[in-house]
Amino acid sequence: MKMNTERFTLTTDDYLAETNALFYLSDAVTQLLEHREEYIQFGIVRYFAEYFTSVKNGNHVLFREFNYIKATPHNRASFIHIFWKCFRQIGKNGDLLTVLEYSSLLQLLCPDFPTEMVQNTARIVLMDDAMDCLMSLADFIYSFQLQFYYEEFLESVLVIYEDLLEGKNPNTVIVPTSSSAEPLSSTVSEETDTQEGVDSSVFLECINGLCERFKHKHPSVSCIKEILESNLRVSYYSFLMALAKHEGISQDIGALPNRSDLLIDPEMDQELERLVAQVAISPTSNSSSSAAGLKEPPRKASPRKSLHQRRRIEMESDGSTEETDSSEN
Amino acid sequence: MAEKRRSGVGAAVADSGKAGKAESDEELLAQAGVGLLLRDALLKLVEARSEDPIGFLAEHFSNLVSEAESGPGGGAGAEDGPKQEEQSSAEEQQQLSRALWHLSLAHHSQRSAFNNNIRVAYDLLTLCGSSRSGSGGVQGRLYTEMLQCLCSEGGLSGTTAAPLLRRIRCHDYEAVPYELFRQGVLTCAAFADYIRKSQCLYAAVASRPERPAERALCRAVLGTLEEALDTSHGADSARFLEASAKISPAKLARAMAEVHVTSKLQEGPTMDAREFEDAAAALFIARVRVVS
Repeated sequence: MKMNTERFTLTTDDYLAETNALFYLSDAVTQLLEHREEYIQFGIVRYFAEYFTSVKNGNHVLFREFNYIKATPHNRASFIHIFWKCFRQIGKNGDLLTVLEYSSLLQLLCPDFPTEMVQNTARIVLMDDAMDCLMSLADFIYSFQLQFYYEEFLESVLVIYEDLLEGKNPNTVIVPTSSSAEPLSSTVSEETDTQEGVDSSVFLECINGLCERFKHKHPSVSCIKEILESNLRVSYYSFLMALAKHEGISQDIGALPNRSDLLIDPEMDQELERLVAQVAISPTSNSSSSAAGLKEPPRKASPRKSLHQRRRIEMESDGSTEETDSSEN
Repeated sequence: MAEKRRSGVGAAVADSGKAGKAESDEELLAQAGVGLLLRDALLKLVEARSEDPIGFLAEHFSNLVSEAESGPGGGAGAEDGPKQEEQSSAEEQQQLSRALWHLSLAHHSQRSAFNNNIRVAYDLLTLCGSSRSGSGGVQGRLYTEMLQCLCSEGGLSGTTAAPLLRRIRCHDYEAVPYELFRQGVLTCAAFADYIRKSQCLYAAVASRPERPAERALCRAVLGTLEEALDTSHGADSARFLEASAKISPAKLARAMAEVHVTSKLQEGPTMDAREFEDAAAALFIARVRVVS
C-alpha cells in the first residue's frame, strides 16, 4: 500500500478498493453474523476493534479458509509470516521434508490449503525434477513465498514462456506471410533442442509488458531485469528460482527476514513455543492459550515424527484426540 | 479461531434455511446498530484518507471502545476529590493523544482532509473540558499543550518552537474558538515544514557537511528569503506567485553569485546551522500575529 499523496487524488471508490477496506469490513460483518452470540455478548464495537487490530498485526489469517487467506496481498504476506513463525523450528533442527509433509504443515494453519500450491512450490525448489525429494525449510519457504504471493503473475509468466518456447512472441503481431514464418519457427525449435530455455532479453521484454497490465501485483521490474540480464538464456524454473532467492523481492513483500537471519530470532522462540504447543495439541481447538505448554516434550524432540501423527489425527477425528504416542521410533 | 472455521463450514452446509436466516441477519445488524457504526467509520476513513486504512479502522474502533468505557466515569464531574481529578487528567491526556493522532493523518498541504482532521481534533478536545467549564471551545491550557506537542512531533527543538508558541498560545483560562484553533494548528504544521526546508537550504549552501557555510552566502540566501516572504498586498494567489518568483532557483543563484564574486576566494567568516535556522525562523515568526 505505498500510495503516498496519490491517495488524495483517487476517487472515494478507488481509494476504498485500493486499500481493501471494504473487503475487511464485509468479512468482519460476516464473521460477526456467524458467531453472533459470542460477539454480541463481547460487545460489537470491541469486536470490530479486535478484528481490525488483528488484521493490522497480521494474525487474522490463522485458521481461516484458503479463499480468505489469498484474498489480499496483506493476507498473503501475513500467512507467509505466520507459517515461518510457526515452523521455523523445523529449519533449526535441520529437518528435510517432502511435499506432502509441507502440505500437512500448511493445512494445520489453513485446513483447506490446496496441495497443488505446495506442489508448484516444490517445482521451483527442485527445478521441476525429482518431485519426491526432500527440501529444507529455507529452500521451501522462499519459493513458497514467491509462489503464493505472486501466484497469478507466475501463471501469466508461464504462458509467455511456453509461447516463447513454441517460437511465437506474445507481444509482437505475427504477420501472416507463410514464407517468413516457417523458417523462423523451425530455427527456434532447433535452438531449443540444443539450448535450454528462452532468450532472456525477449523474455524480459514480454514480462515488462505483463507488469504494466498487473499494476503492482508483480515483483519489482528492476529485480526482474537484474535477474534476466545476468544470463543470455533462461528456463522458466531457473528464472523462478532466481526470483525466489532474490532478497530485494523478499524485502518488498516484507513477510520474511533475509535468508541469513531466517533461523535466528531468540525473541520469537518463546512465542513460537507457545504457538506450536497450541497447534500441536489440537489443530481445531480454540486458539486461546488455555492448554498451551501441556504436551511439549515428545513433540519438541522430533517435530517431524509427530507430524505424521498429527496428520493422521486430523484425518481420523476432528482433532480432539490428543497425540499421546511418541514411541513410534 | 478454529471455532470460527468450523461453524463457517456449518453455515455453508446449512444453506437450505438461508432465506429465514438472512432476514434475521438484517434484523440483528439493524438492532445492534452495525450499519450506523460502519457508515460512521467509513465516512471518517474516507475523510481522512489514511495511508494505512486498516490501522486507521483499528484505532477508530479502539477509540470508540475506550470512549464508551471512560464515558460514564469521566462524565460524572459532580463528585470531586483527588481521585476524580486524577482520572479526568488521564482522560485529558488520552483525548490529547487522540487529537494529535487525527492531526497526523494527513499533511497540511492536503488542505480539505487536514481541515477535517482539525475539526475532529477540536471536537475531541472541546468535549474534554465541557463538564467543568461549560463554555464553548477548547481550554486555552489544552490548546497550548497541544501546539507544543505538534511542534515537537514536527521535529522542532524546544528553543526553535518557543518564540512561535509565545505568539500563538492562549491563556489557560481562555476558551479557544474553532477558527483560532485551526490557525494555530496550521501555523505549527507549516512552521515545522518551513524549518525543515530551511535546514535543507543551509545544507545546500554549506556544500560540505563537515564545514560551516560562508556567512556572506548565508546572508544572501536569507535576504532573498526575506524578500520573498515580503509580498505586496493583494489576492492570495497573486502573492503566492509573486513569492515563488522571488525565491526561484535562478534568483537565488544570482544573489549567491553576486556575493561570491565580491568575496572571491578569501576564507570569509562562517555561519553555523543553528544561527541560520534561528534567522530563518525569525523571518517566519515575525509574520505570525500575536494571539494574546
